[in-house]
Amino acid sequence: MFKSNNVTARIFQRQICTPAPGTSIYSARRFYENIVPSCTIYDVECPDHSFRKFTEDGLYLISFSRNHQDLIVYRPRWPSFSCKEEDCDTHELPPKAKKFEGFFTELYSVSLATSGELICKDFFLYMENNQFGLFATSTAQIHDAPAVGGAVQGVPCVEKITFHLLRMEDGVVLDERVFWSDYVNLAHSMGVFLYDDLLAIVSLRYQRIHILQIRDSGNLVDVRTIGEFCREDDELFLYSSVQSMANPDKSKQLHQMTVNHAANGLHHDRPAGETSFLSGIKQRLLSFIYQGIWNEETDQTLRMQCLKKKFYFHFQDYVDLIIWKVQFLDRHHLLIKFGSVDGGVSRNADNHPAFFAVYNMETTEITAFYQNSTDELYLLFELFCDHFHVSGKNSLYMNFISTHSNNIHNLEQLKSNKNKASSLSQFVKKMLSSLPFSCQSQSPSPYFDQSLFRYDEKLISATDRHRQSTDHPIKFISRRQPNILKFKIKPGPEAGNTDTRSKKISSFLFHPFLPLALSVQQTLFLQPAVVNIHFRR
Amino acid sequence: MGSMLGDWPSFDPLNFSQLRPSDPSSPSRMTPVTYCPTHDRCQPPPNQVIASESRNILLRNMYKRTEDKLRSKRPASEILITDQGLKHPRTSTAESPF
Repeated sequence: MFKSNNVTARIFQRQICTPAPGTSIYSARRFYENIVPSCTIYDVECPDHSFRKFTEDGLYLISFSRNHQDLIVYRPRWPSFSCKEEDCDTHELPPKAKKFEGFFTELYSVSLATSGELICKDFFLYMENNQFGLFATSTAQIHDAPAVGGAVQGVPCVEKITFHLLRMEDGVVLDERVFWSDYVNLAHSMGVFLYDDLLAIVSLRYQRIHILQIRDSGNLVDVRTIGEFCREDDELFLYSSVQSMANPDKSKQLHQMTVNHAANGLHHDRPAGETSFLSGIKQRLLSFIYQGIWNEETDQTLRMQCLKKKFYFHFQDYVDLIIWKVQFLDRHHLLIKFGSVDGGVSRNADNHPAFFAVYNMETTEITAFYQNSTDELYLLFELFCDHFHVSGKNSLYMNFISTHSNNIHNLEQLKSNKNKASSLSQFVKKMLSSLPFSCQSQSPSPYFDQSLFRYDEKLISATDRHRQSTDHPIKFISRRQPNILKFKIKPGPEAGNTDTRSKKISSFLFHPFLPLALSVQQTLFLQPAVVNIHFRR
Repeated sequence: MGSMLGDWPSFDPLNFSQLRPSDPSSPSRMTPVTYCPTHDRCQPPPNQVIASESRNILLRNMYKRTEDKLRSKRPASEILITDQGLKHPRTSTAESPF
């Protein structure tokens, strides 16, 4: 669309040209080639907090105190200062403008964790349309906890996990949800998925998926709990049948009790059934697998052989599968990853078999079931990756993150990795191991758009994870003008690190739309972090 | 002609005949898009409304593959019995208000 690289020429051209249909955001993004965070303030004097991320609408910077007890929220703003000289560009920034307070205003500090609890620094989810933030605090983990009350043996236990819903404008806690003697994978928000106003929390210990809705008023409302039961009234039906079978005289009284019990909410602390029934979701899964194998053959004898070989031989393995991770595919469908108990808690689950199932919450049916090495699922992943990265309909910037389904450069990279891979099934497993995606784990910043800039993905990327830090600056090179360096991001002190032996890790926080970024470099020991501010002067 | 574009010359006099003259009270209202058949081998059904499916393409693909698997190898006699339970709803599910 733009003929020239000059920003003034582009602005004039923008006045008269209309971008091609459906590309207005991509056309507007091209201005980011001209406006880059090329200026760095090294080792800014800032409060000693752990800076977590910018919210997706760019209104707040979330940080936690070092003692993991408090939440501190800042408002990003731009420094302003005046210069009386004629030619100001060549001047250094005045010292006042180089301070952290010049870029960020503290809005409030809230104490979230009571004694014995710590805030999980890796956990933060943001609901953009209401400006609500979800945080988590937990007590210490208990290893080797006994598997009572329907808990899965081998999954650790945390005495108390609390989710706090805050209004980000003023830091008021709107609602809380507590999970007792449970385990939810809070690291990098892996065990929780937010889609629009629906929240899916996976209780690994009790193998339940709690679906909650965040109301506009700020209340967390239970919608359903998938696990032992699939439909909302399954539990009631089961109780009333059990009671009426056991004691026909008293059945009416007990029925009334169970109705009251169920009416109090799905979330009471009743221990899960020590019955001989498999859980509802497991039954759905097994019957789907059975039907699939049944339909493969028409001949009765071949059919039985097929069933024996593929289903009954592996029956116990299928029964022993546990839910690892869940994401929404739309408001009604969940993508659930199943695997063995060992893989669910270990960090590296590559060698453990894993399966994916698509579950429709409304009809309570399993729609699809794949093993993690199937080409079929990989093909869907390659073609429709954007549909796995679901973002709510209200979120503007999150829909334009580069993936291999919407960006030719990502696709080329993927294809080249595929060709270089020694074993196709290993490659497929590796690609599918990123599913189900964790929500809000990628930065929507246009500087990560692969059509605009080329950068070393090992050193920096849209995914917010800590990385190995290097002393060399990370280069962002323009895609359209090959070999022209647009800007550099250098974490750590300007002169480089004097201590080269200790391992350093960096994390990068990019503002979603302003040319503003923070790089935080820290050593693994509790030394204060070096924070740099990268911005456009 | 009474069209929004007035009596501007046009290659085909019938062009722009669908456009209604601009209403002074709501000048920017447009008529709904009308799809015209490009051939006359068959006529479109009357009062047909074309809307986009609410289920996204990924889920549509998954449902289609599952249905194909369940449908392809079954003998005819069983289809009648089991069709009720296994058939997934084809119509796009409306957004439920919760």
